[in-house]
Amino acid sequence: MSAPARSGPHQALLAFYALFTLAAGARALVQLTTQYGEAPVAYWLSLAAAVTYALGWYAIRQASVGSTGFASVMLWVELGGVLTVGTLSLVERDWFADASVWSDYGIGYGFVPAVLPIAGLLWLRRQKRTIRTGASSE
Amino acid sequence: MPSVTTQITVIVIGYAALVTVLALVVVLRRGDRPPWLDQMVWLLEVLLVVRGLAGLGTVFGDDPPDSLSTHVGYLVSSVCILPIAMKSVEGDRAVWSSGVVAVGALAVTVIAVRLQMTA
Repeated sequence: MSAPARSGPHQALLAFYALFTLAAGARALVQLTTQYGEAPVAYWLSLAAAVTYALGWYAIRQASVGSTGFASVMLWVELGGVLTVGTLSLVERDWFADASVWSDYGIGYGFVPAVLPIAGLLWLRRQKRTIRTGASSE
Repeated sequence: MPSVTTQITVIVIGYAALVTVLALVVVLRRGDRPPWLDQMVWLLEVLLVVRGLAGLGTVFGDDPPDSLSTHVGYLVSSVCILPIAMKSVEGDRAVWSSGVVAVGALAVTVIAVRLQMTA
């Protein structure tokens, strides 16, 4: 069993990831079930964003108790997703008849989707340093 | 004159924004989570429950919102978010527990705005 997570900035990150899992997931499910034909690409990408946030939540939780491996991959995947979808939404307007969560780099959510993975990666870097320092002092 | 529901929503938005700012100030001052912040959160929750009950009138009334499922989603999450946030920091009064409160209050602020937009 892993040790309980220490108090720290990851708690606010986890709150954001839980919130975005809910927001993106609910939005994708409503749009996929009620208006699928309008912009299927955008709606599937919203669902992908929701899954990414759920995995991101798990990754950060694991990293907070010392297993940083999954977060090292997942946060970069998330950043890549936001940048790719954000750029595609600007370049290939036809694919996005309706907005997706990561459209225009998350403009519909105050650009929080673009800031979250960067904040996560900064926290992860500090967390890895803390783990290394802790390990070397033991 | 705006409807009673609209008036309650405006109060909720203003008060939720205040709770968000105060929670952020507590984080920035790096102190433990003070009991008064918890009390403010629970008062906000009471306001949200009142807003939720008023919202039922909108949902089941003669003129329901166009995007009904979205509106109901906002109504339900507006009432659920703060208790979940407070449960997640139960027994933890360290500085970042106020950060969780700030995220929850910010979410509720945005949701209250969206409730008004989709009503």
